[in-house]
Amino acid sequence: TESKPREEPQSAQEQLTVFHSPEGFTVKHPLMNKWTLWFTKPAPPGKTGSDNWADLLKNVVTFDSVEEFWGIYNNITKTSDLAIKSDYHLFKDGVRPEWEDVQNKAGGKWAYQFKNKSNVPIDELWLHVMLAAIGETLEKEGDSEVMGVVVNVRRGLYRIGVWTRTTGGMIRPGPGVAGRTLEEGRETLLEIGRRFKEVLRLPEREAVEFAGHTESAHIGSSRAKAKYTV
Amino acid sequence: LVLKTSTEPGPPSAALTALRSARFIGDINSIKYPEYIMSPNPALNAAAPAGKFKYQKDFLLQFQSVFTEKPHQEWDKIIRETVGEPDSARPQTAR
Repeated sequence: TESKPREEPQSAQEQLTVFHSPEGFTVKHPLMNKWTLWFTKPAPPGKTGSDNWADLLKNVVTFDSVEEFWGIYNNITKTSDLAIKSDYHLFKDGVRPEWEDVQNKAGGKWAYQFKNKSNVPIDELWLHVMLAAIGETLEKEGDSEVMGVVVNVRRGLYRIGVWTRTTGGMIRPGPGVAGRTLEEGRETLLEIGRRFKEVLRLPEREAVEFAGHTESAHIGSSRAKAKYTV
Repeated sequence: LVLKTSTEPGPPSAALTALRSARFIGDINSIKYPEYIMSPNPALNAAAPAGKFKYQKDFLLQFQSVFTEKPHQEWDKIIRETVGEPDSARPQTAR
């Protein structure tokens, strides 16, 4: 990054946040990662084939500060106002929100479906999931698993998901790579699932399920058999 | 009277200018927040490298009503070309 905090002695007075001065702040809150918001447009009538899906996936905006996130969130359509078959995807910059992206190929997703749309505070839940993503509280230090989060608006349901880099297998240690045993890999993924479930404020009896993208692709739907459940 | 309906973006707002020119905070513990603002949870950033911070939900939610400006001069155009207008994006009602 370009910031050189040690070489810029700043008195507390000079560091004005947006709370001190909404129109004259001098410092902003960096996010640990740069994030891109994507939107899937519902297919126009008569063009429901999957071949044009890529054309319907729109890169909306990329941001890297807390302040900018809120500028976006406060000026974009709420999930509850989106048409059926719309999606928002919030992914780390450089990762396309598709199974085929090389960084997603070996991964999977935790997901939960809300089937009673009228009783779900979907705007608040999606906001909280985005905040957990950009605030980096969905995973532990160094896990490097979370690729992005997604909300799907469908007939009769909302689905919220968290995409992960792996499906929780073993990782051999290498240069700059801390290895994981099979058990550690599994526990890393389960912990992300538990945190996700907490963000969604789901009661214990509700099951949040994880499935690998490859399994989902083979079955041809997002209803692959769950690999993990929390 | 002719109303100007041009889509030319106006000058950036003061808030947007501040957003663009503000520096990233390097040391989160050096920030003195107003008294009524909850600071980021220090436990989350105990091992944080410079400029790489985690933020808990309740800290982040405090910004919601504070930064409300459109984050880009051409924001309306960006939204029209990607998400679309909320009203036209709504499903057609039965006719």
